[in-house]
Amino acid sequence: MINWTLYKRGIKGSWKTLLIFAAVLTMYFTVIISMFDPAFGSALDELAKAMPELMAIVGMTPASAELVSFMEAYLYGFIMLVFPMVFCILSANKLISRHVDRGSMTYLLSAPVKRETVVFTQMKVLVTGLFVLVLYATLLGIVDCEISFPGELDIVKFIMLNVGVLCLHLFIGGICFLCSCIFNDSKYAVGVGAGIPALEFIIQMMANAGEKLEKAKYATFFTLFDSDGIIAGESGAIWGIVILFVGAIILFGTAIVVFSKKDLHI
Amino acid sequence: MVVCEIQGLTRDYGKGRGVFDLSFSINQGEVFGFLGPNGAGKTTTIRHLMGLLKPEQGYCTIGGKDCWKNRADIQKNLGYIPGEMVFFDDMTGAEFLSFMAKYRKKKTNERTKELLDRFELDPRVKLKKMSKGMRQKVGIVVAFMHDPEVLILDEPTSGLDPLMQNRFVELILEEKARGKTILMSSHMFEEVERTCSRVAIIKNGKLVALNDVETLKAAQTKKYIITLEDENAAAAFAGEGLQVYEISHNQVTVIVKNNLKELISVMNRYPVKNIITPNQSLEDIFMQYYGEDKS
Repeated sequence: MINWTLYKRGIKGSWKTLLIFAAVLTMYFTVIISMFDPAFGSALDELAKAMPELMAIVGMTPASAELVSFMEAYLYGFIMLVFPMVFCILSANKLISRHVDRGSMTYLLSAPVKRETVVFTQMKVLVTGLFVLVLYATLLGIVDCEISFPGELDIVKFIMLNVGVLCLHLFIGGICFLCSCIFNDSKYAVGVGAGIPALEFIIQMMANAGEKLEKAKYATFFTLFDSDGIIAGESGAIWGIVILFVGAIILFGTAIVVFSKKDLHI
Repeated sequence: MVVCEIQGLTRDYGKGRGVFDLSFSINQGEVFGFLGPNGAGKTTTIRHLMGLLKPEQGYCTIGGKDCWKNRADIQKNLGYIPGEMVFFDDMTGAEFLSFMAKYRKKKTNERTKELLDRFELDPRVKLKKMSKGMRQKVGIVVAFMHDPEVLILDEPTSGLDPLMQNRFVELILEEKARGKTILMSSHMFEEVERTCSRVAIIKNGKLVALNDVETLKAAQTKKYIITLEDENAAAAFAGEGLQVYEISHNQVTVIVKNNLKELISVMNRYPVKNIITPNQSLEDIFMQYYGEDKS
């Protein structure tokens, strides 16, 4: 089901992008973790109190004194949502629809390799990239916290938070990848593939903002990633992760079927 | 033995575009020419053979296998030169060849090297920086390097210079002698004349002619443009009883069919300054043979 030559080529084509994203995450993690002050409340908390609406929109609400809640509020409400999402959009487009749009897919299909194998391999490249990115963030968070505030971080909860964020991004990746398989034109693949998650994210921000719009949270899949709930150990939050994961499998499965059955004008 | 069969193949893109009820078959060891003007449906037909498109009606098979259902299986023994060469541009030619070989689960072999030498291709250049001719050569090497039994070639010599076109014709003839089955679309009469045993021509998605190349050649008429000293000489030349197509100033265009000797003897008696044969496309010759009304 997987063609290793194509897989290696995909990984080789992704590592530069991954490096850039890793560098950006490193910067944010280092800066934000350094702002944590268990004794007096952090500078960010002051900011959150000063302008609660604005900070709430980007998911940053005053956290409890725990380091893991602090990271959940200031890193997993916006940064860890947006950056991996952009990575999904870029990668998913590059792996399928760009090859179809340009015509280089011809060479991948004029060989005794099943279309299912081609799509599955490209999907593995995307999933590997996401996994590496979230794994990196996890390790970065743990190492950074252990250096700056030894023993402060609840590592188990932090890992659970990252499992949740990974499943969320697998789901987003599934949407982007499915669009990449449906549309022959790169611009539509990116337009719809990026449009859906971006719109859902905006709805999520609106839901965060105010009581009136709070009901909007039922219209976005971002609600399934309940970071507060994960930290609190709520079973509903765990179910959210499971639903995202199952959803991702369905999306990727559909992508494989769609691509294998469609007509290709290349 | 029939290796490749197309039966009632139909794909309607609307507005008369597509292919309609197309049927023909290619035997083992045969080089089959596939011709037609741009937009006639050649590439659409080839896409069906490659399993990229699903037939709306009809079917096509290669080696007895359905081109849509068994596409990956068929590719084991198939070589393909697409009409447009698009590679992974960040690779060098050598990297791409090695990628394709590994992707096919084959090793880069002696044959690859032999093909590179034959076409004088230096594969160390980045694909992005290659000229059209060089890219075409890369495409040729990829199609032949795994020594397939069946070859589907969509305008295989476009972008090649005459010397390389000639080498390509030699390669085709060698493969033909080795019993390979080849479908080739082309615009070059010489190429088709030298390699193909049968030719099909399609127009507006329909098969308009299917014939032996020998029959065609026998029916072929050729034009010659003869330049004389002045207009008077041209007028007198035109009155010699040859089939005259056109007179303009001091140039006479004559049509010759199996009577070249007569033309030569007439030319001997006149102050001929120049003689040229305008290029005649294969479609011209075909249309001439079948008459415009058939199209």
